[in-house]
Amino acid sequence: MDLLNQIIRQPIDPDYALSAAAGSHPPRGRWQLGVLAMIIGALFAVAALQTTRAAPVQQSERSELISRIQTAEHEQDQLRGRVTSLTEEIATLRAAALGDDDAARGVESEINTLDPVVGNAAVSGPGVVIVVDDSPSAADDARDRVLDIDLQVLTNGLWEAGAEAISINGHRLSNLTAIRSAGDAITVDYRSLTRPYRVEAIGDVRTLQARLVESSAGAWWNDLAQNRRMRYEISDVKQLDLAADPGIVLRHAGRAAS
Amino acid sequence: MIPLVGLLAGIVIGIVLEPSIPQVLQPYLPIAIVAAMDALFGAFRAYLEGIFTDRVFIVSFISNVLIASAIVYVGDQIGVGSQLATGVVVVLGIRIFTNAAAIRRALFHA
Repeated sequence: MDLLNQIIRQPIDPDYALSAAAGSHPPRGRWQLGVLAMIIGALFAVAALQTTRAAPVQQSERSELISRIQTAEHEQDQLRGRVTSLTEEIATLRAAALGDDDAARGVESEINTLDPVVGNAAVSGPGVVIVVDDSPSAADDARDRVLDIDLQVLTNGLWEAGAEAISINGHRLSNLTAIRSAGDAITVDYRSLTRPYRVEAIGDVRTLQARLVESSAGAWWNDLAQNRRMRYEISDVKQLDLAADPGIVLRHAGRAAS
Repeated sequence: MIPLVGLLAGIVIGIVLEPSIPQVLQPYLPIAIVAAMDALFGAFRAYLEGIFTDRVFIVSFISNVLIASAIVYVGDQIGVGSQLATGVVVVLGIRIFTNAAAIRRALFHA
C-alpha cells in the first residue's frame, strides 16, 4: 500500500521542483521539445493505424475458418450419405451372392435379426421421446448445463429399460458410439449436437417409460430436473423412424466354413 | 505552442508516411505510448504549476519509455511479460489519473 500511496502522492517527477528551485530556466531547447512532441504524435498515429488495420484482418481470418469448418461438415455429410448408399448396395450384393439354399436363408435371417440390434439397419416402431435441455440459468452456472455424462446416463438407462434402438438428435447409437464433450458442445459420433437434445428410443411402450423412471438413470434425471431445473420431458410416440448408424464398418471378416 | 504544433505534425506525419515498426518492437509500442502519456500529463501539470523545464521533460520522457519497454522486454524473456505489462499500465495509469485530476483542478478550479 505504501507503494501505491507514494505513486499517488508524487505523480510528477520531483526533478521539476528541483530544477525550478535551482532557478535555471534557460529559454533554449524549444525545438527539442517540438521534435519530441512530433515523435509522440507519430507514436500515437502509428499505433492507432496498426490496431485499426489489424481488426479487419482478424475478422476475415475468423470468418474464413468458420467457412472452412462448414465446408468440411458439408463434405462429411456427403460422405456419410455415400456410406449409406454403399451399405445398401452391399446388402443387395450380399443377398445375390448368398443364393437361395437353406444355409443361405439361415445366414440371411441371422443378419436380419442382428442388423437392427447393432444399429446397422434403419428401424421404425413405437417408443419414447425424451427432450432434455440446459436449465434457464445455464449462462450463470456451468453446473446447470447438460453434460456428456448426463446423456450417457440417460442412454444407458434406456438400454437397461429395454430400448432396442436409440438415437440422439438423429444420430443413431451403436455399441461403438461415443458421447463426449468437445469444447462447449456435446458430440455423438464426433458430430456436435445443438440444444435441445432429443433422445428417441424404440422399445416396448408399455414398460419402457416405467422402467426408465425406476432405474438409476431416472433418479439421476429427476434430480437434475428438480434441483437444477433442467428440461426433462418424456412422451410416448406411436411411430419413430431411426436411421442406421453410418459409422459402422466391417472390421474383421473370415471365410465361412464350407 | 511549439509542442502542440509538433504533436499535430507528428500525428499527420504518422498517418501520411505510415512508418512500419519492426516486428520485434511492436509489442512495446502500446507500453511506450502509455509511458509517453504519463510524461505528457506530468509535464502539463508541471507547466500549470509553473515549474516546467524542457530538460527534465525530455529526460523523463525518454527514460520512462525506455524503462517501461525494458521491464516488459525482461518480462517477456522470463515468461511474465503480460503480467509486468499490466503492472506498468496500472502504475502509469494511476499517475495519469492523479495528474489529470490535478490539471482539471488547476484549469477549472473544480
